[in-house]
Amino acid sequence: MYSLMFRQFLRTKTCIIGLSLLLVLGTISLLIGKQFLTEQQEVAHQVVEKQADHIARNVEYHSDDLGLLLYYLEFALINDPSPLAGLSIGQRDINPSVQSVTIRTLEAQKYDTDLLNPVKLLYGNLDLSFILIYVLPLLIIAFTYNLLSEEEESGTWRMIRVMTRSKIKFLLAKLSVRFVLLFTVVLTLFILAVGLLDIPVGQPLLAFFSVAILYMVFWFALSFWIISLQRNSNFNALTLLSIWLTLMILVPAALNNYLTVNHPIPEALTATIQQRDGYHEKWDTNKEETLEAFYTAYPQYKKYGYPTEDGFNWLWYYAMQHLGDVESHEQSVAMRDKILKREHISELWSRFVPTMHAQLALNRLAGTGLINHIHFLQETSDFHERTRLYFYPQIFDQAGAEAVNWASFKPEHMTTVTEINWWSTLGSLVIGALVFTGLAFVQSRSVL
Amino acid sequence: MRKEIILLISRQFLARLFKSRAVYPLLGIMLILLIYAAISGVSYHDHNHFREDHQEMARDSWEGNPDKHPHRMAHFGTFAFRLKHPLSMFDFGIESYTGNAVFLEAHKQNMVNFSEASFSTGLLRFGELSMAMILQTILPLIIFFMGYSAVVADRENGTLRILLTQGASWKDILFGRSFGLLIGALLFCLPFFLVAAILLVSEEHVSAEIWMRLMLTMFIYLLFVVVLCFITIAISVSSRSSKDALVKLLGLWLLMIVLLPRTAQAVGSYLYPTPTKLEFKSAIEEEVIKNGDSHNPDDPHFSALKDSVLKANHVNTVEELPFNYGGFVMAEGERLSAEVYSKHQQQLMDTYRKQNSFSRVLALANPYLAVKNLSMALSGSDFESYVDFQNQAEEYRYLMAQKMNELQMKYIGASVSSSEGKVNVVGREEWRNFPDFEHEQLSLGSVLSAEVFSLVSILFWMVLAIWMILSLSKKAKAI
Repeated sequence: MYSLMFRQFLRTKTCIIGLSLLLVLGTISLLIGKQFLTEQQEVAHQVVEKQADHIARNVEYHSDDLGLLLYYLEFALINDPSPLAGLSIGQRDINPSVQSVTIRTLEAQKYDTDLLNPVKLLYGNLDLSFILIYVLPLLIIAFTYNLLSEEEESGTWRMIRVMTRSKIKFLLAKLSVRFVLLFTVVLTLFILAVGLLDIPVGQPLLAFFSVAILYMVFWFALSFWIISLQRNSNFNALTLLSIWLTLMILVPAALNNYLTVNHPIPEALTATIQQRDGYHEKWDTNKEETLEAFYTAYPQYKKYGYPTEDGFNWLWYYAMQHLGDVESHEQSVAMRDKILKREHISELWSRFVPTMHAQLALNRLAGTGLINHIHFLQETSDFHERTRLYFYPQIFDQAGAEAVNWASFKPEHMTTVTEINWWSTLGSLVIGALVFTGLAFVQSRSVL
Repeated sequence: MRKEIILLISRQFLARLFKSRAVYPLLGIMLILLIYAAISGVSYHDHNHFREDHQEMARDSWEGNPDKHPHRMAHFGTFAFRLKHPLSMFDFGIESYTGNAVFLEAHKQNMVNFSEASFSTGLLRFGELSMAMILQTILPLIIFFMGYSAVVADRENGTLRILLTQGASWKDILFGRSFGLLIGALLFCLPFFLVAAILLVSEEHVSAEIWMRLMLTMFIYLLFVVVLCFITIAISVSSRSSKDALVKLLGLWLLMIVLLPRTAQAVGSYLYPTPTKLEFKSAIEEEVIKNGDSHNPDDPHFSALKDSVLKANHVNTVEELPFNYGGFVMAEGERLSAEVYSKHQQQLMDTYRKQNSFSRVLALANPYLAVKNLSMALSGSDFESYVDFQNQAEEYRYLMAQKMNELQMKYIGASVSSSEGKVNVVGREEWRNFPDFEHEQLSLGSVLSAEVFSLVSILFWMVLAIWMILSLSKKAKAI
C-alpha cells in the first residue's frame, strides 16, 4: 500500500510541478552561490596580486621618504568566506569582504562600502537558504493541505475508513510519502552543493543540513495539525498560506521596522564627522598639545619629543591622524554596541519564530551574518593598529624604505571558525515541531 | 449591459461578502498593519532629523575653520547627507539599501556609506512593512480571497442558471461581480490613501508637486486594484470548482509576488557582472594617469600645459606667473580626473540598469512589478533617485574643489608650495561664502519619463483585463 501511495502521488500534477520547481530553483540557487563564491575568490585574488605591485610601485616613487610612502600604502585584510556562504549569502553581499587600509585615521576607512546595486539587494539573493526557507514550506503546504479534505470532498474517505484499521496511520503514511520525496530532493540539492561549491563534509555542513531538515519537519508538523482540524480544503489552504505569510513576511518585517525605528544609529554619522574634525583641526592647533595627546595613547614614543612649532613633520602628521580615531572612539563604540543590540534582539525574538530562526542560524553557520561583519571590523582595527605600530618607530626614526622587508607585507586573512552550539541552533525548531505534532495527535485522537 | 442590473449584481455580491463575516477580521488585521506601517513610515522619515542635524554639524565645522590655505580646506572637505523624500513614508523602496553619508573632498570620489542595511541583521532581508508593501503584497491576497468564489460558487450551487434565465447577461454578471469586488477592495485600500494624505498634510513644506505625486501614486494603485479584481473574476468564472479557483489564485500570487521578481533580478545580476571595487578604482586610476597625472612631475600632458602657460604669459618660470601655478595644475587635474570618474561611474550605473532591466521588463507580464516600480519612483525611493543624489553630491564636490583651487590661484603667492602653517592663508569669510550642499529631488517629469515602461505596462494590463472579461463573457458556461 505504501508503494501504491508513492506511485499515486508521483503521478499528480502538483507533485511533478512542485518537485521540478524545487529542483530547478535549487539548481539556480547553487549556481548563484557558486558565482558569489567565485567573485569573492576573485576579489581576494586581485587584492593579493595588486598589493605587491602597489607596494613596489610606491616604494620606487617615494623610497627616500617613509612617511610619505606610508601615506599612500594600503594593506589588505581579507575576510575569507566559508564555502557555506554560497548556500546562505546573508549580509555578505552588503558588507565588504576586503578592507584595504592605510595607516591613517581608520574611522575614515573602515566603513567604506563595496560597489553595490541597491535594487539587487532589495530583491535579495536567490540562494539555497531562500529556497529552503521560503519555497520549501510552500511545497509542503501545496502537497499536504488537502490530504484529508480531498478524500472527504471526493467521497473516498468513507471507503478508506472502512478499509484502514487506523486513520491516523493512514494520514501519517500519506504525510511520510511527501516527506520522503521532499527529503530526497533536498538531500540531492545538498549533494550537488557539496560537489559544486567544494564544501567540506563536516560539522558545519551537518548542522546546516540539520537546520534545513528540522525546519522542514516543523512545517510538516504545522500542516499536520491544520489538516487534523478536518476542515475543508479551502480553509486549509487559506490558513496555511496565511501562516506562511505571517511567519515569512509580516512578523520579521514588523520586527525589523521596530529595530530600525527604536534603535537608530546616528552615532555612525557623528563618528564620521568627529574623525574628520579630530584630525583636520589639528592643522590649526598647537602641535605640542597634539603630540601630548598622542603620547598619552602611546607612551612608548615619548622619546621622539616635541619637534618645533613651525614646519611639517611626519611624527606630528601621524599623531594628528591618530587623534581622528581617538576623538571619534566613543561614538564609534556606541555605534558598535547599538548594532550588537540589534543583533541580540533579533536572536532573542527568532527563538519564537522558526523562519527567522532558520535564516539567522543558517547565516551564522555560513559566517554571513551581522556578527561576522562586526568581528571583521574588530579584526580590522587590530590589524590597523599592528601595522601602524610596526611603522611608527621607523617613520619617526626617519628610516628609508630599504629598512623595511616589503615582501613580508602580504594581505592577511581572517578565517571564521564556526563554533556550533547544537542546542541553540536546533532547539527551537525541535520544540516547534514537537508542539505542533503533539497538537495534531491530540486533535486526531478526538476527531478521527 | 445594463447599469441597473450590474449594480444589482454587485450589491448582491457585497451583501454576501459582508454576511460571511470573514471579511471583518481581515479588515481589522489590515487596519492594524496600516497603523504599524504608518508609524514606521513616519519614524523612518524622522531619521531625516539626524541627517539634517549632522549636515548642520558638518557645516558648522566647515565654517568654523580659521584662515587657512585653500588646499587644506579642499581636504578638510564636507559631507553630504542624503535626505529622504517625504513620500518615502509611504513606500520605503530601496531606502534601506542605499548609502546615507558621503565625504566630499578634493581629488577623491568617496563611497556613499552607512546604509541602514549595513547596520541590519538578517531580518531586513525578509522585507519591510510599509504602506506600499501592504498594498502591493497583502491586498492582492485579500482581493483573491474575497473574490475567488464570486462566480464559480454560483455555478456550483446552481444560482448562476437562475440568474441567467432571469435575464442577466454574462457581461452583466461578470462586470457586476467585478464591480462588487472592486467596492470591497476599495474598502481595504482607501484607508491607506487617507492615512497617506493625512501624514502629508502634517508635514511641513509639502509642495504641489509632492501632492501630484501622491495623487498619481493613488491612481496607479487604483488601476492595480481594478486589474486584480478583473483577474480574480476571470479566474473564478473559468475554474471548475471554487477550490480550483482558489488554488489557481494563490499560485498566481506566489508566482507574481514571491518567486518571479526575485528570480528575474537574480538572473539579471547573474548575466551582467559588475567590476570589483578594486578593478573599478584601478581602471579609473590608469585612465587618469594616461590622460594626465597632476601628481607626477614628469607627466607629458602637464609638461606641455606648463610650457604653453609660460609662453602665453611671456615668462620663464612658474614663480613669475601672476597666479599660483599649483592651484592651476590642481584645477586641471581635478577636471581631468572628474571626467574620467564620471565616465566610469556612468558605465557602472548602466550596468546596474541592465541588471535591473529583467525585473523591469517583467513588469509587462507582472503588474505587481509595474506598480512596485512606479510607486518607488513616485515616492523618491527608487534607483534613479539615488543615482541622482550621487550625481548631485559629486557635482557639489567638484564645485567645492574647484572653488578652493580658484582661491589658491588668486590669493596664494606664485612661489608658495607648502600648505602648512599660518602663513599663505585665505580669509575665513570665504568658507562661509561657499554655499552648503542641498539635494534637489528629481522632477516629476523626469520620474515619469524614466518609468514609461511601467506606465505602459499597467495601462496594458488594464486593457487586457477588460478584454479578458469581455471574451470570457462570450464563452462562459453556466454548468
